[in-house]
Amino acid sequence: MVCELTVEPWTLKYRPRTSKEVAGNKTAVEKLREWIDSWVEGPPNKRSVLLYGPAGVGKTSISEALASERGWDLVEINASDKRSGEILSKIAGLASSQATLFSKGRLILLDEVDGINLREDQGAITTILAIIKNTQYPMILTANDPWDPKTRPLREACLQIELKRIGIRDGLPLLKTILAKEEIRTSDDALKYIIDKDRGDIRSILNDIQVLSSKAKTLTMDDVTLLSGRDRTESIFEVLRVIFNSRTVAAARRALSISDVDQEMLFQWIFENTPYQIPNPHELEQAISVLADADMYFARIKKTQSWHLLSYALDLMTAGVAIAKQSPTSGWVPMRFPQRISSMSRTRGSRDLRKRIAGAIGEKTHVSVRRAQQLYFPLIRFEHEHSPERFQQIASWLKAKDELDEMFSEEFS
Amino acid sequence: MLTSTEPALWTEKYRPKSLGEIIDQEEIVSRLEEFVKRAAMPHCLFAGPPGTGKTTAALCLARDLFGQRFQDVFMELNASDERGIDVVRTTVKEFARMASLSSVPFKILVLDEADNMTSDAQGALRRTMEKYSDTCRFVLCCNYSGRIIEPIQSRCALFRFTPLPDERIVENLHRIAKNEGLKFTETGLKSVVEVAEGDLRKAINTLQAASSMSKGITEESVYQVVGRAKPTDVHDMLNHAMKGDFIKAREELRHLLVKYGLSGSEIVRQIHSEIFRLAITEKKRIELIEAVGETDFRLVQGGDEELQLSALLAKLAANI
Repeated sequence: MVCELTVEPWTLKYRPRTSKEVAGNKTAVEKLREWIDSWVEGPPNKRSVLLYGPAGVGKTSISEALASERGWDLVEINASDKRSGEILSKIAGLASSQATLFSKGRLILLDEVDGINLREDQGAITTILAIIKNTQYPMILTANDPWDPKTRPLREACLQIELKRIGIRDGLPLLKTILAKEEIRTSDDALKYIIDKDRGDIRSILNDIQVLSSKAKTLTMDDVTLLSGRDRTESIFEVLRVIFNSRTVAAARRALSISDVDQEMLFQWIFENTPYQIPNPHELEQAISVLADADMYFARIKKTQSWHLLSYALDLMTAGVAIAKQSPTSGWVPMRFPQRISSMSRTRGSRDLRKRIAGAIGEKTHVSVRRAQQLYFPLIRFEHEHSPERFQQIASWLKAKDELDEMFSEEFS
Repeated sequence: MLTSTEPALWTEKYRPKSLGEIIDQEEIVSRLEEFVKRAAMPHCLFAGPPGTGKTTAALCLARDLFGQRFQDVFMELNASDERGIDVVRTTVKEFARMASLSSVPFKILVLDEADNMTSDAQGALRRTMEKYSDTCRFVLCCNYSGRIIEPIQSRCALFRFTPLPDERIVENLHRIAKNEGLKFTETGLKSVVEVAEGDLRKAINTLQAASSMSKGITEESVYQVVGRAKPTDVHDMLNHAMKGDFIKAREELRHLLVKYGLSGSEIVRQIHSEIFRLAITEKKRIELIEAVGETDFRLVQGGDEELQLSALLAKLAANI
């Protein structure tokens, strides 16, 4: 278990190091490279590029690859961190106007410009526009939604390049290479399924296959269909990441809005991962206790259909857990698939089997199914182990020979 | 091959067939025999701990009353399995309202584990009992009469079954041992009695399990049986938690819930009895009892077993 703490997330491990390594989006990457190369003859007509596309298609990764293959520094500014125009102008201005003969090249990356909060970042857009106009270094702006009206002035000042979600054609060979390096056996069907399920969001895909294959070093159709129950716009891992890394109530609550993942499913995911993400016992106690409180609300909602209680349950399971976490996690801790969900489907069969056997016992001994399990299973286990002959007698008297044999072969496997 | 129809589980094989065969609970048995003599009886409530003869008494009573026709006019339901209000509305009502055969004055319906019925179902049952009381008598068996709603209690004759005295259990075990030709030592039988705590079913079950070992029934084999029957995992789970290892403790919990099929309240009960054996300060002990009580309460309120018990374990883990 300790070694897992040192596991590197594949999203980092397999980031493209050069633009050639970027899977898919060939035209876009080519266009970007041409634009950057044109800087050799001085600043081109458009000094900035607006790189847009949905989450997880590689906007940041591609920018990083372009910088690193030229040995440039990447100056990265995340615009959706709350920044005043003043700070923005300081950093970006510094990066763009002070070229020296001996300094290394630079690529400026202004990430998530559509995340700028206009009310709080007064003047941000104006500042950025000014920087774009005067920058001495190539500058890349990224956005999810290029049609956001508030970024319209930026859009017009930039060369626009779209990144698309990865498809089967580019995604399949990429995933096969990665899984081969990780020595994980898989099938094309499983990979196609997951690419489709994660809608070509390469970050989600990598997160998903890393977690799903972590146990058995295989990735089968069965493994990936575990994901099928969830309908989502954003990977569950993103949601969890937000929850376990939020410092404020508002930030943690927002996790729910970035995803339409089923709430009960999400609850199981949070519960499963809480002890791994919050190792401090006192913080953990607090976190599990708010989850237990949320559970009581869910129980009450189910019983009385009092749906107005739902908001408290949701606040507790997101913000309650986030705020319970005080100390940061050391290193990267992988997210785990909830045992509850996987074992539900796996053990449903054996639970039914036990119930059938207990039912047969209960009928003969005048007790309930539940009591039959408690009262007679230990005895029958004992007979099975020590006196096969008596076990056979019991099995045939109960008329449950096949069922009992099946149960014991399961228990010993 | 001829399959014997003789019950393979000794609790069934040695279950008395008529009131006269019942050992102990003399007071109750004599009153029930009076019912048989007069061929008349009220609704009955049999209350008492497990393994003290409630169901047996009900079965014997019906058999003694009806003899050969027993099967036609007798019905047994287990309220834990079929406890919904629907069962009362349909199955119970159907059985109760059909007039009995002319030769028997009434039918008998036994409801086992009746204290597991929801109060709604009990309410519905109450009306049924009233309405069809001339055609059907009810015998309700339960561990705690307090969990039966007042209006039902007041319509029933209450019989309190008590744990069997040790001598009676020994007597019984001797009889079975002789009949089965078992190898046993007196100290072995004594330990069976000790673990049974007045529960004859548990005593017979333990006897049967221990006797399957080649060394026969000795103190050691009994100990082995008991060690197995009561999962030590509850203890392990608590140990992991007290050592601060919540993740391991939660794993054990899942094991208990899934593999052993233990119910949440059963686990709570076992934790509660473990508390008195833990090496902790008295103040902690009381805190723990409070926490266990809270967990139990939440389970009663419909909380999720794994979640609520996990919260208890996390509390233990934080209090190192």
